[in-house]
Amino acid sequence: MVRAPESAEVATRSEAVLSARELVESLAWIARLRWLAAGGVAAAITVVRWYLGIALPVAPLYGIAAGLALYNCVLYGITLRLRAERPLSLARASVVANTQISLDLFFLAGLLYFSGGIENPFIFYFVFHIVIASILLSRRATFSQTALASVIVLALAAVQNEAWLPHYHLAEVMPEGVHHNPALAYGTWFVVASTLFLTAYFATSITARLREREAEIFALSRSLEERAADLSRANEKLRLIERTKSEYMRRVAHELRSPLATVHQMVGVVLDGHKGEIPPAAVESLTRARVRLRLLMDVARDLLALSRAREADLSRQMQEVSLADVVAAVAPDLEQRAQEARVALEASVADGLPPIAGDPESLAQLVDNLGSNAIKYTPAGGAVRISARGDDGGVELAVADSGIGIAREDLPHIFDEFYRAANAREGGREGTGLGLSIVKAICDSHGAKIAVQSEPGRGTTFRVRFPEAIHRGETPATGD
Amino acid sequence: MEPKDARILVVEDDVDAADAVKTILESAGYQVTTAESAEKAWDAVRAQAPAAILLDVMMPSGTEGFHFVWDLRNADDQKVREVPIIILSAIHEGTSLRFYPTESDDTYAPGEYLPVQAFLDKPIEPSKLLSEVARVLKTRPPQ
Repeated sequence: MVRAPESAEVATRSEAVLSARELVESLAWIARLRWLAAGGVAAAITVVRWYLGIALPVAPLYGIAAGLALYNCVLYGITLRLRAERPLSLARASVVANTQISLDLFFLAGLLYFSGGIENPFIFYFVFHIVIASILLSRRATFSQTALASVIVLALAAVQNEAWLPHYHLAEVMPEGVHHNPALAYGTWFVVASTLFLTAYFATSITARLREREAEIFALSRSLEERAADLSRANEKLRLIERTKSEYMRRVAHELRSPLATVHQMVGVVLDGHKGEIPPAAVESLTRARVRLRLLMDVARDLLALSRAREADLSRQMQEVSLADVVAAVAPDLEQRAQEARVALEASVADGLPPIAGDPESLAQLVDNLGSNAIKYTPAGGAVRISARGDDGGVELAVADSGIGIAREDLPHIFDEFYRAANAREGGREGTGLGLSIVKAICDSHGAKIAVQSEPGRGTTFRVRFPEAIHRGETPATGD
Repeated sequence: MEPKDARILVVEDDVDAADAVKTILESAGYQVTTAESAEKAWDAVRAQAPAAILLDVMMPSGTEGFHFVWDLRNADDQKVREVPIIILSAIHEGTSLRFYPTESDDTYAPGEYLPVQAFLDKPIEPSKLLSEVARVLKTRPPQ
């Protein structure tokens, strides 16, 4: 995971550095490695002196190893204190890092001096320190450390060649007098120094590129996070709007129901002659008024059902439901309506259907709405068929009719609230335009998908596919 | 029980709805008293236990109708306890509403259905209203 820079001291693109936090963690890691180095040096001295038999001034060498361990204690303590600082200072961490690397160079120089100087092949270990510097420090600081390392190597070569200090010759490794060869001494220095500078160049270049990529990835990640947050907020806002709309719809319908029922009742009482005889013209008007009232009440009822289907927290009511039982419960009412409309109704449910997770009442409403629609829009003499079968782990309910069908241009809108196709409005067929909206809302809350095929004049088939209930009480994911 | 001998109490806060139901019942020969609230209904019941009660369950205070039913069923007077009740409601039959309180209190626990004899959806079909009233009066033990 790309982390954001914690310190306010963010470097420019050309001088990409670690964040203060990362630098301090790296220093702590290097301090742990330095323990190994101190131990390794002591072990190497022992092996070289007593196992390989190479004459070495062990006292100063062990002294340097001990010094390394001691100075590491101090540095580790400083690093831990830095870690605990709030806020972390990149400048202070950089100073500690630079100091550590410089001291490491001097320690290495000391070890090399007492073990053959530039004769010692381990002189190339300066490269490791330059690589570490290129990772931890800025480019400028890395080249400064490289210059320091080069000066140290030059000093080793000069001290040795000019005999300014005693030379500890590795007799078992190098021939005598080699250290007095200027070409070898300064030649070695040149090779080492150029290696160090080339290493610094390549390492800092690679590090800079990696840091740029890291910064790009971080920026992209941040942008994605912001977009996800925006999407989440927009989604929440939409949900709130939908919830508010649904609640308003429910309240309006609720407040309308009772007074509408009362007015319908009162008109009925007048029409039945309980308030005295009324003229035939008034009877006709009042009869039409009562029909309109009934339609209004149906709208209020359907609005309530729709808002309930959309708002339903079905987690409490979810249970394993047999679609066969649902169809069987709804069938008698549908059969009566079919008989009145002189439409043949057939209900056929396959045996052994797996249960589905759902709310029995909502599912009954779904079947009833689809069945009622099919009967309503099928002319006398036609047929409606309700069937259910297993389908690849789920259950498919199909309601097919030989009715008036739906025109292609109406198909995308049939689940819209209050939408009624032109041919549906013809022939005096009353409807609220909410039946299929309710069906769709119930499908969505059950994770079911609904599809429709239709041809004007030939009939319509609705197919609803329910996922199988795997565990008792499982709430299915929302479908399309 | 003959209609003329039966006094029906209609508990309904909507005066127009109460008047409509009263008109239907009186046309069939019943004596009808109306009450606009559970409190007034109790006054009427204490004065004289009716042969049956038609109760609008959705009264202004929400659960007033429910409490009235339970209080009636817990009354000391047997005649009052056994009065048949028909619930009148504007809720469509297809909803999942169950006529019981959702939270328990000292009187009843959640999930207890109302001990009533019938539910009628508003607007009430006059013929259905009269047939239900006749039915519950027939099933009532002789007083």
